Amino acid sequence: MEGRLRTRVALHAKVRVPVSDWEHAIRAVCAPLVEAGAITENYADRCVEIVHEQGPYIVVAPGIALAHARPEDGARELALGAITLAEPVAFGHPSNDPVNLVLVFASPDKEAHVGLLASLARHLTQGLGERLLAAASDAAATARLQEVVDDVGP
Amino acid sequence: MGRKGVEDELEVLTACGVGMGSCLILRMTAEEVFKELGLRAHVLATDVSSARGMKADIFIAQELHTPEFEGLFPVVISVKNFIDKKEMREKIAAAMEKAGWKAA
Repeated sequence: MEGRLRTRVALHAKVRVPVSDWEHAIRAVCAPLVEAGAITENYADRCVEIVHEQGPYIVVAPGIALAHARPEDGARELALGAITLAEPVAFGHPSNDPVNLVLVFASPDKEAHVGLLASLARHLTQGLGERLLAAASDAAATARLQEVVDDVGP
Repeated sequence: MGRKGVEDELEVLTACGVGMGSCLILRMTAEEVFKELGLRAHVLATDVSSARGMKADIFIAQELHTPEFEGLFPVVISVKNFIDKKEMREKIAAAMEKAGWKAA
């Protein structure tokens, strides 16, 4: 849209990633964002530690985990990542295991991500999870994530 | 005192571990459901440790977090699927009725 201020978000998505367990899955979804400089390695570590500390509450829906840590843990940019798993893994959640889609987000402060997550929530309610799982290539999955970013309100 | 959710806005808290991820997803879903139910609600997302010192009519979180909040809020709702409006709608409607706040 002309004249519209676009939200800048570091994005990445990968499909059918083989992982050995939930920790590996979180590290795998973080790795490309670490490489891109959007988050630090410490941020990825904290994403894992938060689950150890607080339990697998990040599994927000059947099969879907939403990993994240705090801005001060090493979130350099607003970022959103996704991987679909080659084989589902258990996070130890009482209702929503096993997980086959892992999302991660990062926000440089406590507010910057609110619009992005609102858009993510809307897209998830409208079948984003299924569309990501059906994506045949990394590029196709990244395009699905881009739609979330495109719908972030002003 | 007016009817909750009709004359009086419902104060609602959604909570998660860190207070900036899944509780925002939960807030979005809850806001849409309150709108669909025709109820006035102010929904605030927070972390579970802050929530312990807060007041609200309705507390919504995942089943991993709700047990310790039973009794701290008039209504405590456990949600399994944060993106399922149907589950949320059924649970909010049932909780409103149980609390005697049944909307018109």
